[in-house]
Amino acid sequence: MKKIKSSFKYIFLSIVSIISIFPFIWMLISMTNKSVDVSRGSLIPGTYFLENMKNLFNSDLNFSMSLWNSGKIAIISTVLSLVVASFAGYGFEIYRNKVRDRIFNILLLSMMIPFAALMIPLFKMFSTFKFFGLNTMAAVIIPTISTAFLIFFFRQNTKSFPKDILEAGRIDGLNEIQIFTRIYVPTMKSTYAAAAIITFMSSWNNYMWPLIALQSPEKRTVPLIISTMGSSYSPDYGMIMAGIVIATLPTALVFFLMQKHFVAGMLGSVKG
Amino acid sequence: MPISKGLTYKKEAKPMKFLKKSKLSKNYDKFGWLFTIPSIVIIGSFVFYPMIQAFITSLKSGMGNNLRFVGIANYARLFTDNIFQKSVVNTLIYLVVQVPIMILLALFISVLLNDKNLKWKAFFRTAIFLPCVTSLVAYSVIFKSLFSNDGLMNKILLNLHLLNTPIEWITSPFWAKITIIIAITWRWTGYNMIFYLAGLQNIDPSIYEAAKIDGATSVKQFFSITVPLLKPIILFTTVMSTTGTLQLFDEVMNITKGGPGNATTTISQYIYNLSFKYTPNFGYAAAVSYTIVIMIVVLSLIQFKVAGDDK
Amino acid sequence: MKTKKLIAIALTVVMTLSIAGCTKKSKESTTTDTTSKKLVIWAWDGTFNVVAAKEAKAIYEKENAGVDVQIVEMAQDDIVQKLNTNLSSNTTEGLPNIVLIEDYRVQNFLTSYPDSFKDMSSKIKAADFMDYKLKSDSSNGKLYGVPFDSGVAALFYRTDLLKQAGYEKSDMENITWEKFIEIGKAVKAKTGKAMLTMDPNDLGILRIMMQSAGQWYVKEDGTTVNLENNEALKEGIKVYKQLMESGIVKQISDWDQFVGAFQKGEVASVPTGCWISSSIIKATDQSGKWAVAAIPKLGAVKSSVNASNIGGASWYVLDKVGDSELASDFLAKTFGTNKDLMNTLADKINLTSTLKASSTTENYQKSVEFYGGQKILQDLSKWTSEIPSVNYGLYTYTIEDILTGTVQSIVKDGADISTALKDAQKQAEAAAIN
Repeated sequence: MKKIKSSFKYIFLSIVSIISIFPFIWMLISMTNKSVDVSRGSLIPGTYFLENMKNLFNSDLNFSMSLWNSGKIAIISTVLSLVVASFAGYGFEIYRNKVRDRIFNILLLSMMIPFAALMIPLFKMFSTFKFFGLNTMAAVIIPTISTAFLIFFFRQNTKSFPKDILEAGRIDGLNEIQIFTRIYVPTMKSTYAAAAIITFMSSWNNYMWPLIALQSPEKRTVPLIISTMGSSYSPDYGMIMAGIVIATLPTALVFFLMQKHFVAGMLGSVKG
Repeated sequence: MPISKGLTYKKEAKPMKFLKKSKLSKNYDKFGWLFTIPSIVIIGSFVFYPMIQAFITSLKSGMGNNLRFVGIANYARLFTDNIFQKSVVNTLIYLVVQVPIMILLALFISVLLNDKNLKWKAFFRTAIFLPCVTSLVAYSVIFKSLFSNDGLMNKILLNLHLLNTPIEWITSPFWAKITIIIAITWRWTGYNMIFYLAGLQNIDPSIYEAAKIDGATSVKQFFSITVPLLKPIILFTTVMSTTGTLQLFDEVMNITKGGPGNATTTISQYIYNLSFKYTPNFGYAAAVSYTIVIMIVVLSLIQFKVAGDDK
Repeated sequence: MKTKKLIAIALTVVMTLSIAGCTKKSKESTTTDTTSKKLVIWAWDGTFNVVAAKEAKAIYEKENAGVDVQIVEMAQDDIVQKLNTNLSSNTTEGLPNIVLIEDYRVQNFLTSYPDSFKDMSSKIKAADFMDYKLKSDSSNGKLYGVPFDSGVAALFYRTDLLKQAGYEKSDMENITWEKFIEIGKAVKAKTGKAMLTMDPNDLGILRIMMQSAGQWYVKEDGTTVNLENNEALKEGIKVYKQLMESGIVKQISDWDQFVGAFQKGEVASVPTGCWISSSIIKATDQSGKWAVAAIPKLGAVKSSVNASNIGGASWYVLDKVGDSELASDFLAKTFGTNKDLMNTLADKINLTSTLKASSTTENYQKSVEFYGGQKILQDLSKWTSEIPSVNYGLYTYTIEDILTGTVQSIVKDGADISTALKDAQKQAEAAAIN
């Protein structure tokens, strides 16, 4: 009985894993094929890999520039988000009071507002800015660096942070800022790692806001380029698949490297 | 039992320490503000302020820039708008069907993965989470290709003789919805799974030992121990999934384009169409967006009440 | 610890500075100022429109040294979206000088943002272009668009398959849709192939039928919804239903399947716009087996003729962006008058131009081997001149989204056409309130 149960487990998990990975494998195979073969759903690797890569990087759409743009935006967004959200999560939890708790709950409400509702007002707002106005990297980044979700995440993880250490720090003569930077930050490495993954992924894959906020073609981010490639009258699917694979690499890489921290960080967010 | 402390922090049993701190910390209050003001300002300016602007816009109507005040006319129009109603029905169908399936699936998978003796744990975990790292645009393109009438999906099913005629994954009003549900589930199950995995690691294995000695089957253990202990996390992920599904846009936009005949359109896609595809009527679009906000708030409140929490 | 934090702060500072730096750089490269003579053009589709723009760029830059034309390829939906967001916020930052806009959408823009587009009436001559284009490209008596490609509808068909079913080329000339269905059934019976593809999400074929009778979703004024009493629409839906029930249709769900179907030889005909030609001739193994006939007309509607349109776009100048004089000069000298450009494009991208003079050029006289020696550009050009003029008005896509549901209920659920259209009329009128 146990053996049946155990083999069922493996079979089920294997099936789920295969379903999860399959599209990626298909992507990898497709990037070696001609567009026609990709549309036909061919599963046989072809010899078009170099051709597709060449087309991808030589295209007028300037794919390499978009990788650079996406990278810059994602890294800066992540760094700034971590700073703002960890400050906030720490502040709301360590310096709890009724007023701030209420404000926190209101901030949480912001998670329930669909982006579609904010698009136009945000656009109008940024179109009036002289600095950091539309078409700047800053415009793309600023609305995304403070998400209630991330603040909530940091706050939850902070709950399991031993407050006695703070007292000890104060007794040692450290001021509040030093306590944050010297004690809190190093202790919460996993949390920061998990938050970094989440933010990086979200920023790298962001489509709607960069689409609206960016105007110049040379500033386009990767999702915008892929979307443009996919909507031509006769898309070159081999090339698009190559683009998608490359586009997915950074996020996959970030995840692989930070995996352990990621789970540990998520663990911290659900500990009581 | 560590997990019983749960996610709620309001009624936490730490009053003593709290009091102690407040006695010393009149000073510290200003640090409280120092740390939290940046985020408050940002969210206030870039979420709440635009929302208020959007509300004002929803009281206006007109083409492009020619907006004029119409009061609640936009909201009244919602009741007779066929496409709006269809989009609401579709969105709710996705919600009611997809979220429970995904949550249960993620729970089940995480329970299986929580087994100490399981081999290749890291592989399974990584594989199942992998879909979450793809961009929505990318995976929509992939799904569109896989599920087209001549696509790989149909080819495989036909070859395995599970089908006699190809399924119209994208051109049939019924199957198109299923395709979207499959896509969303594929994309997000791993994400929820990680949350549950983390929560499960908090549960003391001795509880399960005790239960096994008492003769409880795995199924009973699942429903009487695992689920109740994970309640706060399940609630959290359910609320997040609900919010996400109510705002569904990218998949529908890229895979089925809302078709066939508005069979898969969601509210967010309707807002997009009203703003960009048709003659732009930003006022009405704003009114439609508020309906999503209201729905999300109402549904979240219901979920919290049902779970016994109050937030 | 301290150093790590310092490094982090330093990195952030550096990055913030680089954002600011990017801001500066961006301002320089995107502001289309009048001194550096730069033009930016937005168009979709790298294989057709963008190629055309590039040819125009080559011609103009040769004659006008110091002018730099930049062509940006962008998905059509993205272009529409950006125009709407920018124009509605009265922002011109980052907008191009020249933009390609689909004829069905233009009235939306011209009516919603009346001052944003440049009046081209003095730069090009309306009489130089095919009549039907002038209606969509004008507003309040002024001509804003420079007409580009003809979306003239035609019936592309496989002569070999039709022969197998017992039909000669002469049998395909100037037929009605009813006859078309009859022929399709014979083709299916004798060859096993479907006659055409149809996408339940796309009412293109209804548009063709309506315009062939001079009708549209709205009346002449462009704003009054015209569904309930629209004879051409009613008859069109009847034919649509018959097509779907005749067993001669291969259902598809997107562009690639559409193209794949005829490239793989799975359908015997393609009744759609002339722009499909470049995709048809890609299937080189079918050379010599195709011909083009006039689009069928609605037998039951007296005003219906064997000429109609589907798609097509024109070039527009954004008046408040950069040097609009230079932009309009560019268009006037290229797409506005240059028949040599049209000649080149006829060969390069199979363009059927709406510039009247283009039909006299060399390439338009050629017999095309792929189509069995037929001088298709001649024919397409002739049919273009016969396209009934129609005001597309403001609500094309809005109404179509409503109609896809209506048509589905009629075709799949057997709803009564008159009742369904009445309901659609009400819906559309509510949506048309602005």
